[in-house]
Amino acid sequence: MGFSGKQLMGVGIFLFVIFIGVPLIIAATGRWDFYYTLTSVALLAIASAGVWLTFYIGRINIGQGAFALIGAYVSAILVVKAGWSFWISLPAAGLFAALVAILIGLPILRLRGVYFAMITLVLTQVATLTALALPITNGAKGISSIPLPSGVSIFGIPLIPDFSSMENTKLAFYITACILMIVTYAALYRLVNSRLGHLCRSMQQNEELASSIGVNISYIRIVIFAISSFFGGIGGAMFGSIAQSVYPSSFQVADSVNFMLNCFLGGLGYVFGPMLGTLVLYFGWDLLFEFGKYQMLIYSTILILLIRFLPNGLLSLSIGKGDKK
Amino acid sequence: MEQILANGVYLGSQYAMIALGLTLIFALMNVLNFAHGQMYVIGGFVTYTFYGQWGVPFVLALVMSCVTLAILGALIERYLFAPVIKGSAREESTMLLAAGIAFFLDAVILLVFGEKQRGVPKIIDGVFNYDFKLIMPYDRILICFLAILSIVAFIGLMQYTKTGRALRALAQDRTAAQLMGVNVDRYSMIGFALGAMLAGLVGGLLVTITGVNLGMGGPTSIKAFMMVMIGGAGVISGAIWGGIILGFMEAIGLALLYQYGDITYLLIFVSLMIFLAIRPQGLMGKPWG
Amino acid sequence: MSPLIQVKNVTKKYGGLTANNDISFDVAENEILSVIGPNGAGKSTLFKMISSFVPTTSGEVLYRGERISNLKPHIVARKGVVRTFQETTIFKSMTVRESVVVAQHLRAKASLAGYFWGSKAAKEDVDAFGKYADELLEFLGMSPISNEQASNLPQGSLRALGIAIGLATDPKVLLLDEPFAGMNHDETMQMVDLVRSVRDERGVTVMLVEHDMPAVMNISDRIVVLNFGEKIAEGTPSEIQNNEKVIEAYLGSVDDEIGM
Repeated sequence: MGFSGKQLMGVGIFLFVIFIGVPLIIAATGRWDFYYTLTSVALLAIASAGVWLTFYIGRINIGQGAFALIGAYVSAILVVKAGWSFWISLPAAGLFAALVAILIGLPILRLRGVYFAMITLVLTQVATLTALALPITNGAKGISSIPLPSGVSIFGIPLIPDFSSMENTKLAFYITACILMIVTYAALYRLVNSRLGHLCRSMQQNEELASSIGVNISYIRIVIFAISSFFGGIGGAMFGSIAQSVYPSSFQVADSVNFMLNCFLGGLGYVFGPMLGTLVLYFGWDLLFEFGKYQMLIYSTILILLIRFLPNGLLSLSIGKGDKK
Repeated sequence: MEQILANGVYLGSQYAMIALGLTLIFALMNVLNFAHGQMYVIGGFVTYTFYGQWGVPFVLALVMSCVTLAILGALIERYLFAPVIKGSAREESTMLLAAGIAFFLDAVILLVFGEKQRGVPKIIDGVFNYDFKLIMPYDRILICFLAILSIVAFIGLMQYTKTGRALRALAQDRTAAQLMGVNVDRYSMIGFALGAMLAGLVGGLLVTITGVNLGMGGPTSIKAFMMVMIGGAGVISGAIWGGIILGFMEAIGLALLYQYGDITYLLIFVSLMIFLAIRPQGLMGKPWG
Repeated sequence: MSPLIQVKNVTKKYGGLTANNDISFDVAENEILSVIGPNGAGKSTLFKMISSFVPTTSGEVLYRGERISNLKPHIVARKGVVRTFQETTIFKSMTVRESVVVAQHLRAKASLAGYFWGSKAAKEDVDAFGKYADELLEFLGMSPISNEQASNLPQGSLRALGIAIGLATDPKVLLLDEPFAGMNHDETMQMVDLVRSVRDERGVTVMLVEHDMPAVMNISDRIVVLNFGEKIAEGTPSEIQNNEKVIEAYLGSVDDEIGM
């Protein structure tokens, strides 16, 4: 279970780049808008990590948009209507998403393959429609002007500064999102390399055989789906806080599909695949902005060509470079 | 009541055609065609262009929709799906490809036809009115009739022609079909083209009633998925039942709950989930088929 | 001493079809018992009911007096009754050793959370699993292929892998699904020796479903014969060989009787 020197160095370089390298480059170039892009990447990567985890038990999850939306609404409602601190609403949003996942998962996790994919896709649509229909979510108007996260201090020692008193919330959100992402992927890495991960892998490959060796497959499916949705809820809640608003259209079917694409593109066999996939897809999309109305055309063409010629994901190309599997 | 039934038949017949195309592609290649809704939209725009813009007779415009989509489907299968299915370690890669194609077609539609809602002149004027109990414009009746005719023709094709038999053999067991001498590559392409053509045909038919716009693609795909789940994926009778059931649920829901707006679809979604919890393989599907 | 497994009046119906009709027999501890019968006799269905992969329509299966039918497969496995599959059911992209390691998870002492945090018990488990996997593979003569990916293995090794996975769970009863199918004579004899040593050296009671008559006669202490879902005979190999009903069933004359 020990880490090799090479792995530790990789992690060190990674941390250096995101916490020191990126801020320096942005300060030097003055492209402050990159903070927003990178923050989005980090948060979407958290939600994508959940999708990846459901794939690890052999289920294609196109419903993460639903859980991100649930997380965003729960946090917004708790902060705006109940006056909670954002930092408490964040885990609450994750837990609520996980709870919903358990309730919905009980019936739908029995479905496999394309059936599960289709029902989760439908689920995203249900979440949007529910947000439109419920009184507490304010219908199509959504919840706007959500206050920025307040400060947290224990025994007078400030742990997290008050975001609203900050000059540069972009940097603060960037740092927060990156920390969350790192914690998520560290947890994911541990999980995959622990016994639970091995059991998931056995289920991914053959559920019948897994149950014959005593794996309680329905229990593990629920646990994994709950963890996956927890990630989705956290990512969504953080997003809502940055945008300071949440609407039924904040996370839609296209977002769910994108979460899935992030995982596929990064490569399903690699824990850090979804992170890379999110970065490439989101950044790629952003860079293509200059092409105006051709943005979508070029983006989708590249996507199709990538799948056509690298059907097993980006990381299937480079064995050796950055393989932290 | 009569009105609800008539609306149900009308909606159901259109939906069944959409679901048929999707289920055919799924049965043949195990591909979940995310781009099905976009294909439907393209079919609508082609008929709009020929019939609405250039004044070509409606039937001819419909044929153009079919031909365009059949060619598009064949090309997509031949140059994208077939090689990806061969080269990929996981079946699911096709899902990614299908999503990419959906984005691509959306982009093409945006560039070629724009974002605006487009409609065409009515194909027939007048309204059928039975004592104000049943009101149905004649064009809807005609479209419904044409849709049912197409479904019957499709079933006939699948049942009684050599192509249909080959497609059914392929859907049942790819390897066995190959052993029986079915040209698997060729018939996969034909099947995909046929599925895409059905989507295009409905698009062409419905443009005369609802018009067409860029945003219709995604929701249409989702509805098609629901129908296929209700009926059972990859089963032709299931797709027809799925279409009819969804059509009726919508017609009834919209009639009874219209003041609540989107709640109809929410209820349909929730009942679908409960239904699938009890019967995961759908009405007609084989368990884990 | 009471029997280890009791099959009591087990019936399975699929719609109008009766796959098993009112079948009863016992399995004693440390016995090798074979269930044989022509194709479609309901052997596999019976096995699936014993391991709770399918529910019974009526009747029950007891293990040490406790009901094990109509539960979940993993619960039955946890009680010590473990089935193997035919060769296509494996963990394709795991190596032989990985498969055997993961199959030992029931023996884990540390909790799932303990593994996540890397507790001391978890580390001890991991060491113990590895050690036992090596020992088991040595016992089965599979050490040379322990790092091969399962999907690359030839058929015979896959069968052995199936048994290795089953044994790794530390079962009291092992249900083998056609362990000799598709093997030539030499391979079959090797497998017969292996199954026997599983019983003799590990104290595992073995039930198997099989077509290969000579192998079954060689290996079994007792045999249960099914035909068209009914039990038609039970006894030692020599009793079965001389049983008229069994001979008729295998010659196919029963077909004519059914047509009456």
